[in-house]
Amino acid sequence: MERSFAKEVALLKKGAGEVFEGEGILAITKALLQAGVSYVGGYQGAPVSHLMDVLADAKEILDELGIHFEPAANEAAAAAMLAASINYPMRGAAVWKSTVGTNVASDALSNLASAGVVGGALIVVGEDYGEGASIIQERTHAFAMKSTMWLMDPRPDHSRFVDLIEKGFELSEASNTPVIVEFRIRACHMHGRFIAKDNRKPSLSRNHPIESPSFDPGRICLPPHTYVQEKQKVEKRLPAALEFIRREKLNEVFAGTQNDVGIILQGGLYNTVLRALAQLGLADSFGTTPIPIYCLNVTYPLVPDELTAFCSGKRAVLVVEEGNPDYLEQAINALLRKADLQTTVVGKAVLPMAGEYTASVVLEGLARFLEGAVPKGLDLAAVGAAVERVRAAKEKAAGLLGAPVPKRPPGFCTGCPERPVFSAIKLVERELGKVHISADIGCHTFSTLEPFYLGNSVLGYGLGLSSSAGIAPSFGKRVVSVMGDGGFWHNGLTSGVTGAVFNDQDSVLVIMNNGYTSATGQQSIPSSTADGRKPRTTIETALMMMGIPWVKTVRTYSVGKMVKALKEAMTTTEKGLKVIVATAECQLARQRRLKPQIAKQLAAGKRVVRTRFGVDDEVCTGDHSCIRLSGCPSLTVKDNPDPLRQDPVAHVNNDCVGCGLCGEVADAAVLCPSFFRAEIVQNARLLDRALWHIRSRFIEVLQGNDAAAPAPAAAE
Amino acid sequence: MSTRPVTILVAALGGEGGGVLADWLVEAAMSAGFPVQSTSIPGVAQRTGATTYYVEIYPETHAALGGRRPVLALYPSPAEVDVMVASELIEAARAVENGYVTPDRTTLVAATHRVYATIEKMQMGDGRFDAERALRACREMAARSILFDLTRSPRTRALALNAVLLGAVAGAGVLPLARSDFEAAIRARGVAVEANLAAFAAGWEIGQNGPAPDIAPESGHALPRALAVDVDAMLAETAQRFPAAAIKIVEEGVKRLVDYQDEAYARLYLDRLDALRDLPEKVLAEAARHLALWMAYEDVIRVAQLKSRPERLARIRAEVRAKPEEPVHVTEFFKPGIDEIAAVLPAGVGRVLRDWARSNGLLDRFHLRMRLRSTRISGYLRLLLLAKMKRWRRRSLRFAEEQALIEKWLDAVARAAAIAPEFGLEAAVAAKVLKGYGDTHRRGRANFEMLMTRIIEPAIAEQRNAAPLLRAARQAALADEEGKALAKVLPPAAPMKLAAE
Repeated sequence: MERSFAKEVALLKKGAGEVFEGEGILAITKALLQAGVSYVGGYQGAPVSHLMDVLADAKEILDELGIHFEPAANEAAAAAMLAASINYPMRGAAVWKSTVGTNVASDALSNLASAGVVGGALIVVGEDYGEGASIIQERTHAFAMKSTMWLMDPRPDHSRFVDLIEKGFELSEASNTPVIVEFRIRACHMHGRFIAKDNRKPSLSRNHPIESPSFDPGRICLPPHTYVQEKQKVEKRLPAALEFIRREKLNEVFAGTQNDVGIILQGGLYNTVLRALAQLGLADSFGTTPIPIYCLNVTYPLVPDELTAFCSGKRAVLVVEEGNPDYLEQAINALLRKADLQTTVVGKAVLPMAGEYTASVVLEGLARFLEGAVPKGLDLAAVGAAVERVRAAKEKAAGLLGAPVPKRPPGFCTGCPERPVFSAIKLVERELGKVHISADIGCHTFSTLEPFYLGNSVLGYGLGLSSSAGIAPSFGKRVVSVMGDGGFWHNGLTSGVTGAVFNDQDSVLVIMNNGYTSATGQQSIPSSTADGRKPRTTIETALMMMGIPWVKTVRTYSVGKMVKALKEAMTTTEKGLKVIVATAECQLARQRRLKPQIAKQLAAGKRVVRTRFGVDDEVCTGDHSCIRLSGCPSLTVKDNPDPLRQDPVAHVNNDCVGCGLCGEVADAAVLCPSFFRAEIVQNARLLDRALWHIRSRFIEVLQGNDAAAPAPAAAE
Repeated sequence: MSTRPVTILVAALGGEGGGVLADWLVEAAMSAGFPVQSTSIPGVAQRTGATTYYVEIYPETHAALGGRRPVLALYPSPAEVDVMVASELIEAARAVENGYVTPDRTTLVAATHRVYATIEKMQMGDGRFDAERALRACREMAARSILFDLTRSPRTRALALNAVLLGAVAGAGVLPLARSDFEAAIRARGVAVEANLAAFAAGWEIGQNGPAPDIAPESGHALPRALAVDVDAMLAETAQRFPAAAIKIVEEGVKRLVDYQDEAYARLYLDRLDALRDLPEKVLAEAARHLALWMAYEDVIRVAQLKSRPERLARIRAEVRAKPEEPVHVTEFFKPGIDEIAAVLPAGVGRVLRDWARSNGLLDRFHLRMRLRSTRISGYLRLLLLAKMKRWRRRSLRFAEEQALIEKWLDAVARAAAIAPEFGLEAAVAAKVLKGYGDTHRRGRANFEMLMTRIIEPAIAEQRNAAPLLRAARQAALADEEGKALAKVLPPAAPMKLAAE
């Protein structure tokens, strides 16, 4: 980790009565400390990475409170940590990105939920859904239902977040059940404020160790206890949870005046619905609206009597529930029928079944509901007009623009060390033909986008190699699997490499060894060497111990060598797994470290050579092959300065970090001679300057001689 | 109607400091005592993709509100944005497209330089979005637009863009905040304070008075670099011979070819055009353009000539922003294959070499790898020697081959134009597919021959206007490297004539 979180850590120290102003995920982190957690584990991933980052930097606070913090090897390991709360009255929290992290964790979670807990166990998940998400679109809701864990979806407001984290622990303890709290992307990154409380020292912790182990056969997940545990879930834990939710008013009812209709919503969507109501002229800026709202801060389980009380006397209610399946809508329908209430439940009929509930989606759905339900005495003129305004604006804009504007998905950073590997694969494909590539999760998944379009499947974090197992034997050519070092340690070594060794898989694995889990924010891993630290272990060591003879470490920027290694791996007669460890540090992290160092050296008058690439625009013919083999943000195009040519020429802008890929690709791909490398000697020494002057003079003389011929001169 | 929150949407590219800009806005609102909420969707979009930050400020202080808390939204609503900030032209256009810029409400503050999306720059031709249209849409959809291009002036180029944008928002006076609130925010963050305050001040000026003329958005193309070649006599002659529409191009062509080879070669150019003089002006102009480019084909000699020019180093120094006292070392990457070496050898020798290489399968496998340090004496001398080889170019293999193909093409242009002017135009523009070096050039050449033999020649033989097909085929040839699109467009190869039954 090259970034410091000192400022964020300071926020965690706020005491009772002080105003905390900051990001949502930090408020959640602070809430854990206020709730007196004994331990926190997790695995990084947007949108909850910051919780991990900040705690990793908060050693002083954690030591003082006695809290154990562990960046776990993966989400399963993080979930398994919660075992501490099965036997001991310790509060613990686990955090990860969902649903992918919950998938990985679910073995541990099922067992945890069956055994039940005595100490509060909270699982904080970042619901990575909608715009800005980087994973498959699913709901965490299903996990809560199938394992009988409670699911909270707090209304976006820092005070509410902090309050509900505390209540979540209490709920967990009152019902002996782990509780999941989900926060959407925008909520995690939301800036807001709340009045802090003092952090609470846990009674059992590193600083106050447990004296003797507690043994309770009823907590063991083995028959016959598991049968008892299943019964406990429905007979004891659920009623206890319902009682707690009701008593502590975890769900909120905002009364209105238009009592023939109402809205039931997931807490996380409250603000969006309120804004849509305001846009329709039906709410003010403080949440006052004539339409009654039942805000579910706990989305599983539903509290039947609360629900029927809200719905009774209403002709229709709108259920605002994001994602599919429509678990809430189904459950509400069932509960109302059981209670023999005839309230019409409208949900996915007016709102989309799939996709994020953005402001405009909710606006349209709400308008359709109101126009359909026609609440008594409500003026609906403004409703249609608001929707029409949006539609008209978009239509006019589309007309003016003439075509959709180009998409701009994320891609490899300037100078990224992973890019050259895909340049090399493209070059190998020119010779050997197209290859099947099992891609993996990480920054390297961007290889599937323009300009590379490389990667035929993505199956999950660290599963690049495993996902080749089925296809490899049925392919005429060896298949290539890609895996990042993050994925390797998360899962790839155990499931991928072990499986390939055991099953004699004959294929090629490329491991991107850039020193961090880069896509999640450059967190450290066992093979990290950041700050010149000795790695705890290396990928090569692990592979050697797995007994893989064919392992080659290649510097990623050496495209020629990478091409050679790939070709050899693809064509050698040697059977078994062939692994290329493509090594070079994450450029984002590297620049973050180097920039201040270089600035210091320059200020001290030290000699620093700055390298960057350029394109001779008269030599470039505007075919852009170089861009198709690189896609580096700093390798771009500009207007052709040649009055005869029309297509833009390639151009290297000043963001170039001089990684050398342009030159390597031009060379390895035999592209064109328009690239040049410029080395700028800053704080040049006397010898540098003397040599330079001599050379320049000599070259000028040569050019002078040449001037006899009609020498052109630039007139700009 | 009750007071509503002021809504601000910021669109930026990952790594551009959009998050810092949002933080400054939040900090400024905090220092004024207003409730403020911001949110973002950074995630992987941080990695160079398009991303947005959304801020809402409630324009009544916490103190005035007592304990009341406004409900602030996490999503921008189309048609409900007060201030739209964009760090780049297409990101501004994207906001317009999504309905976040509306004439009744939105002040649009945007930097209008282009950062091209990969999909735009990877095209084999020109894949850039029409900047003119984007600008017009921005201007027409915004209630007020403050648009500027900092990259146009050396005065503003180095300023931190996010701080300039903040300054412009502040200067526009659309937020309920004072200049001192923003400056306090920059100071509170404590990073590069002086530089950011200077950039903020420049932005404030833009927000107050609009952009100075040197940074007003300009979508027109940059002025081309003119060659200062003394060809006055020849040009005077040219002026009389060609119509006005073609004259500029012909002049450029003459200059190009005198520089490329010699006056005689430029005369050959004029003579060749002479034969086309009666064609419609537009056809003549395009033929003149592509003839000049083709005759000045890129061989190793040409590349060395361009790279050994006296003014080149100054241009590189400016481009890489080297200070006057800093030495700059330049390295060139040459890797001619046997094809390219044979190209500059005398025709007979070159042909033998190429045939030998082809029959031994070495054509694609052997390359002469040269890393040439052109700022060293030895390196420069090698460049110069290569450039001097132009004296023997006329005898080279490629010269002979190119001239033959050029003649064939010119003849086709004339014949096509006789069938229909637009067919002639398309036949002239077909030469656009010829570009690049090595593999790229071979692919372009193969595509060109495909256009000639499968479309142009059969159509001429049948006296048929093939303009639409030819245009589609040319565009297809530039659509992908593998020739997939072209294969779909091309008519099947002429069937073999069956013997009479």
